[in-house]
Amino acid sequence: MSLRDHIDGLEGGHDSTGDPAFDREKAIALAVFLVPGMTLFGIFSVGPIVYSAVGSFFSWDAFTMQSFVGLDNWFRTFRDPLIVHWENIRQYRFPMGALTQNLLWVVLHVPISTLLGLGMALLFADLRGRRILRSMVFLGFTVPTIVIGLVLLFVYDPQAGVFNELLRVVGQGQLVRNWTQSPQVAIYALVAGGIWVQTGFNMLLYSSALSAIDPSLIESAKVDGAGPYRRFRDIIWPLVKPVTAVVVIMGIIWVMRVFDIVYAAGGTAGGPNHSYSVLGIEVYRAAFEPPIDYGKAMVVALVQLLIVAPLAAYIARMN
Amino acid sequence: MTEDNPFTPTEPSAETRAETGGQRYTPVDEIPDVAPSKELDWRTRIVAATPTAWRVLKYGVAIAVAVLWIVPFVGLFMASFRPLGEIIQGWWHLEGMTVTLENYRRAWSYQTAPMGRALFNTLIVTVPSVLVVMLLGAMAAYPFAKFEFPLKTTLFFLILLVMAAPPELVAMGNYNTLREIGLFDTYMGLILVHIGWGLGWVVLFLRNYLLGIPKELEEAARIDGASRYQIFRTIILPLSTPALVSVAVIQFTWVWNAFFFPLVFMRSPELYLAPQVLPLMRGRIQVEWGLMAAGSVLTMAAPVILFLLLERYYKRGMVAAVAD
Repeated sequence: MSLRDHIDGLEGGHDSTGDPAFDREKAIALAVFLVPGMTLFGIFSVGPIVYSAVGSFFSWDAFTMQSFVGLDNWFRTFRDPLIVHWENIRQYRFPMGALTQNLLWVVLHVPISTLLGLGMALLFADLRGRRILRSMVFLGFTVPTIVIGLVLLFVYDPQAGVFNELLRVVGQGQLVRNWTQSPQVAIYALVAGGIWVQTGFNMLLYSSALSAIDPSLIESAKVDGAGPYRRFRDIIWPLVKPVTAVVVIMGIIWVMRVFDIVYAAGGTAGGPNHSYSVLGIEVYRAAFEPPIDYGKAMVVALVQLLIVAPLAAYIARMN
Repeated sequence: MTEDNPFTPTEPSAETRAETGGQRYTPVDEIPDVAPSKELDWRTRIVAATPTAWRVLKYGVAIAVAVLWIVPFVGLFMASFRPLGEIIQGWWHLEGMTVTLENYRRAWSYQTAPMGRALFNTLIVTVPSVLVVMLLGAMAAYPFAKFEFPLKTTLFFLILLVMAAPPELVAMGNYNTLREIGLFDTYMGLILVHIGWGLGWVVLFLRNYLLGIPKELEEAARIDGASRYQIFRTIILPLSTPALVSVAVIQFTWVWNAFFFPLVFMRSPELYLAPQVLPLMRGRIQVEWGLMAAGSVLTMAAPVILFLLLERYYKRGMVAAVAD
């Protein structure tokens, strides 16, 4: 409690005839400000999360909770080949299960989009017209992700797709195929699409960090004879390092939530034979497509949260 | 980087001051007709104006990257104006191009769920979701930034938890809630879900902004006898306008673009939102590229135009939302 609030409390105590330690007027004001928003937040955000956390330990008959079954749903989910398919993982063959594919997506997507975002931020930093260049790269992030998925479908189409035309032009015609529908390569094609979108966002974060660097620092390093590499390593990198943590964590959160792109390319099955399904798709299918399995849906959604929760806590602690 | 030459003095030099009789400005009748020429010969100036090879290369790469990044959208845009036969041959072939609005006409009155109706539905859901979140978010953020109260840390923790949670996690609970209160498959139900989901980040974002408003302003108002409500209305709200614009732009984009929530909570075709209709346009055997492209362009127009108009607020908000 700050001193100011303490004084406010005393003043309130003078005015009202009640208990001087309890500022009735302040309490009412707080309630007026907080209650409407926090009620909706509680009912539609916190409540459902608690509901899922509790429900994951119960058996379900369609949408109604039945009896307590302990960790049954959890064991069942992790043994499900749709979530983790051990045999195919050993042979590195898709489908490997939604959890594995989602993590593979993270492993590929996050480092590449982070590096590309940093590279572009550095490239655009001192050019004329950098605002237009940045907006062009960032545009994809403002477009509905379902449109991104459909655009990828279009880009990778064997006839009408510009990617396959590019392959033909550079003389790799034998590689032409319907990339989003070929089980063994489709996930890489979609990851490339995810990188395409997220790079703009990462570039934006890095750009704002770069523009916060005092230009005189760089100038004096130049005068002292530091080359571009030394300038990057000793001045720029230490100053943008904290942003990298944010970029990486936001990237992981984004990928763990990815749904629309996969839905657009492969429907609720997550591609032919579930070959690029992700956790979000598995939740949707378990919860809203027959046979309905609410227990599994809740477990999978909680797994999504458990993977990113420590990272979000790390961001929160950083501030 | 500034374009100013740091070596040009901004103050008049001692001699000028002496010439003008110690006055700071040149008297009107002494102002020369032409600007004084720079004391550089033309050779130096050309060298200075010509970019180095390294810089030319940098521009080339930067422009190439930026163009490469929007090629898929250019393709989508081109496809939306051309008949299917030409799209299959490749939208990048420009000779003999037919420009037609047929795709847009068909998308607008698409039989399962007409795009016109779907866009209207999207607007009906988006506008209240944005306005209510702004108001309730600002109200809740004020105590978070300026007062101490019990359970503050707990609430704060819950907000962070929700921000990390995937939308899929709240779908099951909200599905049952909406069914019970009879708001499933209605505008109101989806709006409530969006408000509940958006409040978390909005409260956190506005709280961070309000922390930067000096306490003295409020204290002065308190001494003048203003109540907390008056302070909120006359000081806090007007001062947080830039942050509220950022919230509006980002929340609008998020709600308008949302696909998962409508997919779960809107089941009647006449209530479908625009993003929901797009995957249906794919068709069965031959993908209807033109139709799909036209629908996509119609759907993405609103957020993209908003982004181009309010780019500064959008970017600043995006950076602040995650970096603070």
